[in-house]
Amino acid sequence: MELRRASSAADIATDSLLLAGGTEVVPLLRAGLIDGDSLVDIRGIVPQGIAGDRIGAGAKLAELECDPQIPEVLREACRLAASPQLRNMGSLAGNLLQSTRCWYWRLGQNCRLRGGDDCFAREGEHREHAIFANDFCASAHPSDVAAALLALGARLHTDRRQLSLAELYRVPTDDDRRTTTLEPGELLLEVEVPPAVRSVYLKAMDRKRWAFPLVGVAAVRTPAATRIALAGVAPVPWLLAEDGLDGATPLPGNAYKTEIAAALVRRARAALDA
Amino acid sequence: MSAPELHVNGHRYEVRSPVGTTLAEALRDELSLTGTKIACGEGHCGACTVLVDGTPTLSCITLVHAVGDAKVTTIEGVRDHPMIEAFVRTDALQCGFCTPGQVMSAVALVDATPAPTTEEIRHAMAGNLCRCGAYPKIEEAIRTWHA
Amino acid sequence: MARLIRTEKEVEGRYEEVWLVVEEDALEQWPAGARAIVGQPAVRIDGLQRARGEAIYTADLRLNGMLHAAVLRSPHARARIRHIDLAPALALPGVHAAAGPGEIEQLVDECDYQGVAVAAVCADTLAQARTAVAAIGVEWEVLEPLLDPDEAVRRGELLDEPRVRGRGDYEQGLAEADVVLTGEFRTAVVMHNSMETHQAVVQWVGDGVEVHISTQYIWGIRDEVAAGLGLPPDKVRVVCNYMGGGFGSKNGADDYTFIAAELAKRTGRPVKCALTRREENLAAGNRNATIQRLTVGAKSDGTLTALGGDFVNAVGWSGWSSSTEGPMQMLYACPNVKTTTYGAKINQPPMKAFRAPGFVEGTFGLESLLDELASKLGVDPLELRRLNYAETTADDRPFSGKQLLECYRRAEPHWERRHAVRARSTDTVKRGVGMASQIWYGGGGPPSYAWVRVSSDGHATVITAMQDIGTGTGTAMAQIAAEELGIPLDHVTVSLGDSARGPYAAISAGSSTTPSMGPAVRAAAADAKAQILEIAEQRGTPDAPLAEVVALLESGQILGKGARGPNPAGMQVLTFGVQVAEVAVDVETGEVWVDRIAAIHDVGRVINPLGASSQIEGGIIQGVGHTLSEERLHDPRTGEILTTSLDAYRLPTIADVPEIVSELIDQPDTHLTNLGSKGLGEPPIVPTAAAIANAIRDATGADVRRLPITRAEMLRALREAELRQREREKVGAPAGV
Repeated sequence: MELRRASSAADIATDSLLLAGGTEVVPLLRAGLIDGDSLVDIRGIVPQGIAGDRIGAGAKLAELECDPQIPEVLREACRLAASPQLRNMGSLAGNLLQSTRCWYWRLGQNCRLRGGDDCFAREGEHREHAIFANDFCASAHPSDVAAALLALGARLHTDRRQLSLAELYRVPTDDDRRTTTLEPGELLLEVEVPPAVRSVYLKAMDRKRWAFPLVGVAAVRTPAATRIALAGVAPVPWLLAEDGLDGATPLPGNAYKTEIAAALVRRARAALDA
Repeated sequence: MSAPELHVNGHRYEVRSPVGTTLAEALRDELSLTGTKIACGEGHCGACTVLVDGTPTLSCITLVHAVGDAKVTTIEGVRDHPMIEAFVRTDALQCGFCTPGQVMSAVALVDATPAPTTEEIRHAMAGNLCRCGAYPKIEEAIRTWHA
Repeated sequence: MARLIRTEKEVEGRYEEVWLVVEEDALEQWPAGARAIVGQPAVRIDGLQRARGEAIYTADLRLNGMLHAAVLRSPHARARIRHIDLAPALALPGVHAAAGPGEIEQLVDECDYQGVAVAAVCADTLAQARTAVAAIGVEWEVLEPLLDPDEAVRRGELLDEPRVRGRGDYEQGLAEADVVLTGEFRTAVVMHNSMETHQAVVQWVGDGVEVHISTQYIWGIRDEVAAGLGLPPDKVRVVCNYMGGGFGSKNGADDYTFIAAELAKRTGRPVKCALTRREENLAAGNRNATIQRLTVGAKSDGTLTALGGDFVNAVGWSGWSSSTEGPMQMLYACPNVKTTTYGAKINQPPMKAFRAPGFVEGTFGLESLLDELASKLGVDPLELRRLNYAETTADDRPFSGKQLLECYRRAEPHWERRHAVRARSTDTVKRGVGMASQIWYGGGGPPSYAWVRVSSDGHATVITAMQDIGTGTGTAMAQIAAEELGIPLDHVTVSLGDSARGPYAAISAGSSTTPSMGPAVRAAAADAKAQILEIAEQRGTPDAPLAEVVALLESGQILGKGARGPNPAGMQVLTFGVQVAEVAVDVETGEVWVDRIAAIHDVGRVINPLGASSQIEGGIIQGVGHTLSEERLHDPRTGEILTTSLDAYRLPTIADVPEIVSELIDQPDTHLTNLGSKGLGEPPIVPTAAAIANAIRDATGADVRRLPITRAEMLRALREAELRQREREKVGAPAGV
């Protein structure tokens, strides 16, 4: 294996594995879930820290957790995410780009996300899986932070373009199994966070700390609108549409998530009104 | 090209392990610093917690070649810290396998916040699993460490 | 004076009749109450080494020339190997040897559960060994697994004959009842997940073998390895100075020990075989799932007339069928009881003992149903327990010591809090209090031996080949020796952990260590003291302090020896207790908080109150784990285990811990040994789930019927309770509305 330090985005080849905090790429590599022997350390070329409404893609969740400039929804999403050590180590971009916790995927099964023909969760054990957009792949997106940024209407700046956070994600389809839209070698540099009048993050998880969202609800009120985004309910962070939870398509083993989501969405709205 | 250096507990070591070796493996196998334990090897349990420039870090998912100049502190580097005496005094350990990781997280916490509240303790220590259930006394140790 | 007796020996609820050589237990117990050292809080004698990371666990052991083994384990719940090719593995760099199916008993080609060992490779580094295992060529014939325990019972796929136990006339008891309630309760598979995984380092030395292993039973490993390798037991040395948790899963040698032994033999090098965390969640044992179909019949005042149950223990492919029916059979004075217990064989990893096996699961079912009964009858739950208190065993034997009524009495102030707790309920968060009784074993038994060596400086060493698995038993032994000799605690060293360096000691399972080892240590210290007294008398100074007398020894030493005497005949030795839980339930999201647990336990004399409170807290926290968040999941079609990592299998974190208030009755069991102490490792985990489930009922009226109480289960039970409530209101509504 080779580990090089990048001095510019040009050092990144299309087959490079990017190393920042390493909290995803190192375990996935060691478990043989991703392949590659060329690691590129990008910590030197990706902005860190927080400057006004711009957060460096390399900023750690632990920094965001305690910065009063950060909107409440994002701070709370960070605070309730992962474990303290992972918040110290993991970068913002890494958190947005993390893979699903679907146990079939994490055990290396050749499911649809890997180009295979089946979604083993749909027919199998799916209690922690998606209740929206789960027809083809029932994986749930595990990022609290992504839901918060989606509700905030964040914009992303890469080394090639700008895009909304929503545009970073796509529901996997038969012809394209990816859940993110970054091009090979494209580097996320900054996250631009619009201000919010009020915002809140509520999370339902299986133990009191250090667990992925069963349902996470990010609610943001701006002068223009109220936006609600959910974590843990779809293969991508899920912006709640007009029909809200009526559009949910739970599987036999995860209908309880709809109930929890309904309660948390209600409470989030009430918190915005309070 | 000379082997990279690792700064651990105030000493400098040459790293000879191949790229891909984790910090935990290098500490234990190469440097014989077996106080840092590997219990899951995947970053889920916190037993391998060390301080990297004072920050609690999971050494089992940190590549040793990515540590660079950062100062690593392991349990061997804090053997006379009052937190250790507090753990022993309050019986904040049972089998002891998770204890070095607990101590490292605790030391970092009180470095930043010398008198943490119960909430702060629980929040900062949530990434260190203990199967024996020494948690109540770990909390007590951290509350009374400077006693 | 040694004599041969026939006695009953119990471990983990399994009884066997054995012939034993025992020493007379001639010492009188100390009078009740804390003494100078015994009964006083003591910090762990090895606490500093553990806290500093200086303790060398098997995981930390490096021997010269040591090789690392990796194991190929069946990825399928049921499969057979058509063809296996080790050659690609052997060709890889660093690889020294490989073994395949049939070469040793532990490597098989007929795979009946996921995780069974099939082949193993050893290499210079662990990474090389793992790469080599991945290179092994295997052609699998995947077969249909049997996964449903009820189906296994239907097909007669059982470990042995169903276990039928009963007394009185069950049908008659039901007929006499004013109220009959039934309920089906399910508990999930729970995994030990000790922080140090199962592992051993084995080295052939001379004509024997040295085994360094993370174990709960040094002598059991010795005998098992000796039998397995065809060696005389004294040619097997077993070492375990520190080990990182077992909870019942490390009582045997398992496959990794024999794999290491075989590869060590072939290579002439020490070989370490360690389970990864993933393997730990596959092949290291588990608390099996249960299905309990229970019936209770009672008079309207709450007096039990009948208790019945069908218990299905989904043991996995092998193991044993634990006493899930135990609490129903033993806790209460019900004259008519009938239970049938099935050990269902399914294609899943075999169970192992896990902290009060059977009784945790059975207490959940029984105490939940009795609580439901109390609710239905309008009888106070604590009163219901007291009403059915058992003065003697079911077969009219006395208990050697039973302070359960005193436990109930001391529970009252905690029970009283329920009014104030309920009053703090809001529309969305309901609060309540529940309780549950605890019964378990914990008397230990012979044999166990200790030596106490006193030197001329007045310091003593306790020598016995026991293991301290984290419970602090080593410290308790030091306290006992110090107390008996009348010397300061810090003058006592404990030498344990090595079968070459000390006599036989009991297993650290079944809450056995303190009640088995403690009396032997006291006897050894008393023997030493008697010898010292004799010297003093010969010298004409019978009242001289010990230090003065032994100072005469110079290089001489006093060697005392002691052994564990027999258990009291004709009595049952048990532990008892009660826990009271306070919970909050979010009725919209199904979230449960366990705010407080009061635990009151009777375990005879307490040697170290500091260590004892840690055991109570640890047991309760494991209880909270299997009550709220721990569950092994598998794919329903293939049987593949899905929760093999610690992000998916959720142990409690520090944030999940309730306030724990613990109290020990601390009255010596006057019939039990020279100490009157029972074990404390298991009692605290037994009633926790039931107390929490009952508190949930108190808070919300909901009947939870399974463990863990997931969000889905909590919401299901809440909706069912709401439905029942609406039906009741409808029935009470005036006609026409």
